[in-house]
Amino acid sequence: MADETRSGLDAVEEGPDVSDAGADAGSGSGSLAPEHPSVKALRARFGDAILRHEMGSPGQHVVFVDPARNFEILGWLRDDPEHDYKYLSDVTAVDYGGGRPLHVVYQLFSMTHHRILRVKCELPVTALEIDSVEPLWKTANWLEREVYDLFGIRFNGHPDLRRILMPENYAEGHPLRKDFPLRGRFSRAEQTRRALAQEVENFYIPLEMDIGREPQLPQGTETAPGGAGDDA
Amino acid sequence: MGLTDRTLPGGGTSARTGGLFGAGGPTFLTSKIDFLVNWGRRSSLWPMPFGTACCAIEMMASAGSDYDVSRFGMERFSFSPRQADVLICAGRVPYKLAPVLRRTWDQMPQPKWAISMGACASSGGVFDNYSMVQGIDTIIPVDVYIPGCPPRPEALIYGLMMIQEKIRQESLANHFDNRAEDPLAVARPRADDDEVRALTGPFGNSTRQNRVSGLVQTDRISRPEDRLP
Repeated sequence: MADETRSGLDAVEEGPDVSDAGADAGSGSGSLAPEHPSVKALRARFGDAILRHEMGSPGQHVVFVDPARNFEILGWLRDDPEHDYKYLSDVTAVDYGGGRPLHVVYQLFSMTHHRILRVKCELPVTALEIDSVEPLWKTANWLEREVYDLFGIRFNGHPDLRRILMPENYAEGHPLRKDFPLRGRFSRAEQTRRALAQEVENFYIPLEMDIGREPQLPQGTETAPGGAGDDA
Repeated sequence: MGLTDRTLPGGGTSARTGGLFGAGGPTFLTSKIDFLVNWGRRSSLWPMPFGTACCAIEMMASAGSDYDVSRFGMERFSFSPRQADVLICAGRVPYKLAPVLRRTWDQMPQPKWAISMGACASSGGVFDNYSMVQGIDTIIPVDVYIPGCPPRPEALIYGLMMIQEKIRQESLANHFDNRAEDPLAVARPRADDDEVRALTGPFGNSTRQNRVSGLVQTDRISRPEDRLP
């Protein structure tokens, strides 16, 4: 859906000016983006799938990759011993508004080489789908659920893609999108009614429900007092 | 000898020979049963702490030795609603937590009272957004609102003493008028739609948020098919 709300929040609407930096740093050896060994290797191996490379904050390399090949590229970054990004710090997303593409952000850390890398995928607002990296890093399970909950990006292959922060019966959309009104879409009365209609038991997984249940005696325990009665 | 009765200031002796009012005085007191019941209730209020944010830190501080809320009979913070008399909701309550608060309240036995502690519990505070309950009085009946962000322990103790004062003025004769609760209202919002709208309407600077951002008004159902039946 196109963002039809023009507003006074121009600074937020415009977002970071990525086009210039991308053009300058596109060659990989531009002055804006110093060399990063992993980015160099990515270019050598994946070629066209590495779209551009730029600097975030100082020392923070950002590499934009083809969203259709994110699983392959991230899997290689994790498994190749030269890079060895065994730790996925964060999965998040950014909506810059105005109908611009949403960014899915993977924040990687290599403990063996003490190296950080931020991998981004741009998704058009009309096709918010990307492959899940949950098979690579188990921590992506809840992180991708959070991104799905708040931005509405679907992760293909995710084992348990449902809301994690908002209520299960939440029907107003995805709150961190720029086209989402601050107070939600429903009236406060409707929000209150829906909130109280939640099933509180659904907050817990079956294991936790078992812990809270009254302890059950194991089978056969009742026969023991009967045996004692024979002596008397 | 050393075993003689100690003389009391009023000139009488101990209860054995005439009680507090001296020899020949009355040996019993009369009172209203209201007074006795209310005295018992207000002197042993057990709070149910529902602490979700920084207000709960102040609530814990008021239970500590410096402020010592047990001077007033709140000896024991009851972490089970079944043994609690007064619910202290301290902190912000998101919509996802609203049914938990409602169920905690439903599980408390009558007579029971509720304190809304701090700006967020009372009105939503600065969190005038999609995820936050705009005042817990839309969900449960509240007896005392304590302002502050967060309120100091003195304020909480003052609020608890206001509850005590309220109990002192109650009468068993109109107990069921005061404390009646519709069993059908369990797990339902306390306020009807108009009241919720009046309670949760934006106020102050927050009303400018829609104008500045140009976002649509939120007080309507954008997708009527999402309404609950």
